[in-house]
Amino acid sequence: MMKPIQYILSVTAATALILLSAAPAYSTQGHGAPEGLYVHQFSHLFFIFAMGILIYWLRSRSLVRESGWRYLQYACVFFLLWSLDAFCVHLLDEYMQWIHVIRIDPWRVQIDAPTGWQWLKWFYYIIKLDHLLCVPGMVFLFLGLRRLSCQPENEDNQPAQGGGP
Amino acid sequence: MIVSAIPIRLVDMAGSALMILFSLLCVQQALRLRRKDPKNLVWTYLLWLCFCLAGFAVSRSGGHILKQFMTMAGLEPVWGAMGPVAGGINTFLLIIVAAVTLFFNRVRHVYQQINKDKQALQSAHNELLALNQSLEKRVRERTDALVEHEKQMAHADRLASIGQLSSGIAHEINNPLGIIQGYTQLLLRGEPEGGQRREDLQIILKHAKSCKAIVEDLLNFARRSQPEMADINIHEVIEDALVFIRHRSKMENVRIEKNFGQDLPAVRMDEKKIKQVLVNLVMNAGHAVSQSGTITISTQYDPRQRQLVVGVADDGYGIEKRHLSRIFDPFFTTKPTGEGTGLGLAVSYGIVKSHGGEIVVESRPGQGAVFRVILPVAGKAIAKGAYHG
Repeated sequence: MMKPIQYILSVTAATALILLSAAPAYSTQGHGAPEGLYVHQFSHLFFIFAMGILIYWLRSRSLVRESGWRYLQYACVFFLLWSLDAFCVHLLDEYMQWIHVIRIDPWRVQIDAPTGWQWLKWFYYIIKLDHLLCVPGMVFLFLGLRRLSCQPENEDNQPAQGGGP
Repeated sequence: MIVSAIPIRLVDMAGSALMILFSLLCVQQALRLRRKDPKNLVWTYLLWLCFCLAGFAVSRSGGHILKQFMTMAGLEPVWGAMGPVAGGINTFLLIIVAAVTLFFNRVRHVYQQINKDKQALQSAHNELLALNQSLEKRVRERTDALVEHEKQMAHADRLASIGQLSSGIAHEINNPLGIIQGYTQLLLRGEPEGGQRREDLQIILKHAKSCKAIVEDLLNFARRSQPEMADINIHEVIEDALVFIRHRSKMENVRIEKNFGQDLPAVRMDEKKIKQVLVNLVMNAGHAVSQSGTITISTQYDPRQRQLVVGVADDGYGIEKRHLSRIFDPFFTTKPTGEGTGLGLAVSYGIVKSHGGEIVVESRPGQGAVFRVILPVAGKAIAKGAYHG
C-alpha cells in the first residue's frame, strides 16, 4: 500500500516528465493585422443586432406608448444607422480598399475610387459624416432618460404590463 | 475628386464634443432615475448602459479629437502609433455596450417577477392580518355570547328553583284556603244583613280570595296549570287586552300606538293566559310612563326562525341595569308597598315559557324599555290560520 507522500511524489514526477518531454505544439497562433479590422467590423454588426433587438423588445412590450421609452427607441434607431454607416466606411476604405483618401493640405482631401464609380466617392464623403447619426442618437437617449425620470411613477414598475422574456 | 475637408473635420470635432457632453448628461439622468427609485432594477440597468456608452463615447470621441489635432499639427506618425490602441479600446467598449443592451429584457422580466412576488407577499400578509383580526373579533363575540348564555342559564335555574318552591307552597296553601273560603261562605248564609259578625266574615272572605289569587299567580308562574291551546290570531288577543285595560285602569293620558305586521300566522296558544301576559306588560309600561307617554305595541313574524314577536315598548324611565337580572323573579318589585305584588312579570314569564316561548327585555335608564314576547309558530297553524292584519 502506497503512503500519501509517495503517491504525491509519484504524480508530480510523472507530470514533470510529460511536460518536459513535450515537443512544440504551436497552440497559440498569430492572425496578422486584419484581425483587428475583422473584430471591429464584427463589433459593429453585433451592435446593430443589439440595437435592433432592443427596438423589437420596446415595441413588442408596448413600452413605446410612453414618451420616455419612445425616445429611447429613436436613440436605438440612430445608433443602429450610425453603426451601419461606420461599418460601410470601414468596408470601403479598409476592407475592400475601394476608396483611397489623400490629404492635399489641412483643408482639402482627394478621394479616389475605381473608374466609373464617381457616386461612390460622394457616398463615401457623406457617410464619413457619421456624427450626424450618433449625436442625435445620444440626444434622444438623454431626452428619453429625462422623460423617464420626470414621470411620477413609471408604468414599468407594474409587472402586469408587457409580455414575458 | 478633391473636396473640402472642412465639413468632415467640423462635424467630427463638434460631433465628438457633443457625444462626450450628452453621454455624460445621460449618466447624470440615469443617476437621477436610480436615486428616485433605487430598488428599480430597470433603472440600475439603464445606469450601467449609460456608463458603458459614456465610456465608449469618451474613448471614441476623445480619439477623434486627438486625431484631428494631430493631423493638423503634422503629427500623423504619432497618431499612427496611438490609433490602433484607441481603436482597440473602442471595439472593446462597443462590444460591451452591445452585450449589456441584450440584458434589457431579462432584467425587466426579473424586476417584474420580483414586483409580482412582492405584491403576492404583501397581499398574503394583509390577508393573514385580516384573518387574525377577524378571528380575535369572533373569539370575543363567542366569549361574550357564552357569558350571556351562562347568565341566562343561571337565571333560568334560579327561576326554576323558585317556581318549584312556590308551587309546592301554593299547592299546600291552596287546599286550606279553599276550605276557609267555603266555610266562610257557609257561615255567611246564616248571618243576618248588617250584623257585626257578617262584616267580619266578609273581611275574612275578601282576604281569602286575595290569597287565592296570589296562589293562582304562583301556580301560573310555576306552570303547574295546563294551558288550553287553540290557534288564535294574536292581533285579536291584543285588541281584547287593550279594551280590558282601558276599562280597568287609569291610562287616559297614555297614547297607545299599534305597529302590527302584515300576513301574520295564527299561533297555538292559551288565549286567556297570553292576554294576561299582554295586560301585565302594558300595565307595567303604563306605570313606567307615569300615566302620560307613549306605549307602542308591535307584532312581527320571522319566517326564518318561525317565530312571532310581540313587542311592548314605552318611553318611560326605563329599568336600571342592576334590576334587569331580577325583573322576572317572583315578588320582585320597584313599586311602592301596596301597589304591586311583584308577581306580574314572574307570572308572564311562566306563561310564555309554558308556551315554549321566550320573554326578553331591553332597557336603558331614562330611555324606556322594550319587552318582547317570542312565541313559536307551528307549521300547521301557519297554513291554517294566516291572517292579514
